Amino acid sequence: MLNAENIVKNFPSESGDVAVLKGVSVHLEEGDYVAIVGRSGSGKTTLLNVLSTLVRPDTGLLTYRGTDLTTAAEKQLDTIRKSDFSVIFQFHHLLPYLSVLENTLLPFMGSLRPVPAHLERKALDCLARVGLADKARRLPGNLSGGEQQRVAIARALVKSSKILFADEPTGSLDRNTGEQIMELLAELHDEGLTIVMVTHEPTYAQLARRTIEIEDGGIVH
Amino acid sequence: MNIVTIPLKNMGRKPTKTILLLSVFLLGVISIVALYQVSLVVGHSLEKKLTAFGANIVVKPATETLSVSYGGFHMGDMLLDIKDLQETETTTAIKSIELKDRISVVAPKLVNMFKVDEVAVAAVGVRWEEELGIKSYWATDGAIPEGPDQVLLGALAARTLGLKTGDTLSLKDRDFEITGVLYETGSDDDSVILMDLSTLQQLVAQPEAVSFVEVAALCAGCPIEDIVAQIQTSLPKTSVIALQNVVNQRMSSVRFVQKLALSISLVILVTASAMVGLSMLSAVNERKKDIGILRSLGYGKMRVFMIFCLEAAIIGALAGTIGYLAGYGISLKALEYLSLTEVARPMFSISQLAFCALVFPLITVLSALYPAWKGSSIEPSQALVSL
Repeated sequence: MLNAENIVKNFPSESGDVAVLKGVSVHLEEGDYVAIVGRSGSGKTTLLNVLSTLVRPDTGLLTYRGTDLTTAAEKQLDTIRKSDFSVIFQFHHLLPYLSVLENTLLPFMGSLRPVPAHLERKALDCLARVGLADKARRLPGNLSGGEQQRVAIARALVKSSKILFADEPTGSLDRNTGEQIMELLAELHDEGLTIVMVTHEPTYAQLARRTIEIEDGGIVH
Repeated sequence: MNIVTIPLKNMGRKPTKTILLLSVFLLGVISIVALYQVSLVVGHSLEKKLTAFGANIVVKPATETLSVSYGGFHMGDMLLDIKDLQETETTTAIKSIELKDRISVVAPKLVNMFKVDEVAVAAVGVRWEEELGIKSYWATDGAIPEGPDQVLLGALAARTLGLKTGDTLSLKDRDFEITGVLYETGSDDDSVILMDLSTLQQLVAQPEAVSFVEVAALCAGCPIEDIVAQIQTSLPKTSVIALQNVVNQRMSSVRFVQKLALSISLVILVTASAMVGLSMLSAVNERKKDIGILRSLGYGKMRVFMIFCLEAAIIGALAGTIGYLAGYGISLKALEYLSLTEVARPMFSISQLAFCALVFPLITVLSALYPAWKGSSIEPSQALVSL
């Protein structure tokens, strides 16, 4: 489904380029649940960003369902991010001035055409699914960290995303809330959603079908 | 819910900043609209006042000139087929043209030669009210005639005839009281006898006859050529001439006022636009994480660009609409304060309101083009640094 071959990514620094990914290869199957683990600064977030097309690799090959994403035009990547990929971050994944419902429908608000009523109904269903039906009109600032994370997950559900990329989705949450989010992700995976998650929590990593351990820009396990 | 929801809601996120930005641009629009309206009325008022210093169009009978020479001796040019104009027909036609609202004064005149004590002198019949409308600079040692048997003498004519205010002048065996002698004007008026037009028409037995008509037209709203063309169409058998030097002199005064207002407006507009541009530029830096979220959701560069432009357009549309209404109201008050509302009032126009509501958003969008481009150029990876 999603293949990354020999991905290299360098970032410039004052003392020259720093190699963050040094020839990483990852293969994702449909319905996969992969946890990327590693120490801070090991390159796991960069790998997630490369896989989700938010960062272009310097060299290597990234393909999605046969399409070469490393040479794809910006517009093509936008289309894939809009329709097939969803990314949830540790913080700041919602626009604070839009309501929960509007944030859920954000991927469909990119034109002058109003969001169709059926999508609005679907968004409300998805919010109900993550337990936020009664908070659809609230602003993100009035939600807890866990609830905000669930809004981001509801947004991925409305899009009917094929792959959900999650960067430390429980990083800013307390233990209980974190577990609730992990349960939700497990449920979605059971329903067929492909998930790639970066985490530094070994307990959560064990919930994934497989684990990729990354160290100093390379896969060690 | 559509893309407009994003900038709209974002503006509500920091109401103080939005209100400040809107106020800056709004003040600019109000000043521009008020200046425009006031300059129009002041220009109109100025032009109307300038009409008191003479006409700018002359309507006279069409003539043919024949150059006469015989045996190598040139005897000068002869005017053929001169027919006086008919007063009612001519003045009515002038006052009925499409641009009649631009006609300020129509002053008909009949000129005839008389001999007074063997001295040839021209008498000019005028309608006093109209004549004073274009010759407010006249000053006399007596008074302006009020009755049919009263005349006013030009300074040179009075000296030549040896007459003064209070004397009696006889024309074709009819006595006229000299109510005043004009102080020298340096014009043809100095050497003529000025009298009531109807009286002169009776005296020469040419009722309704006029030699020419002087017209004072207001040219600020349209070119003088248009007014001349319309009079010419109404009166095809006449010759209509624009006194370009008078027109140009008058219009340069009016245009000075309008150019001054335009220059000040431009400065205000550039300043207000710069404020919008700077504010949008700082907004781009503040909203890098928003850009990151949008890009991660598949919003392309054009969509991000559009969001910033829409935000600027909303500011411009609000400022344009409210600014026109407020500017119009302020111009009314300013003109009342300047005591100019009796001369003319600013015109409220739906088309001007629509123009402001469309053009000012365009200006704010132009001001926001660079910030919007900068925002849209941020790569998702750069924007994600702030996440």
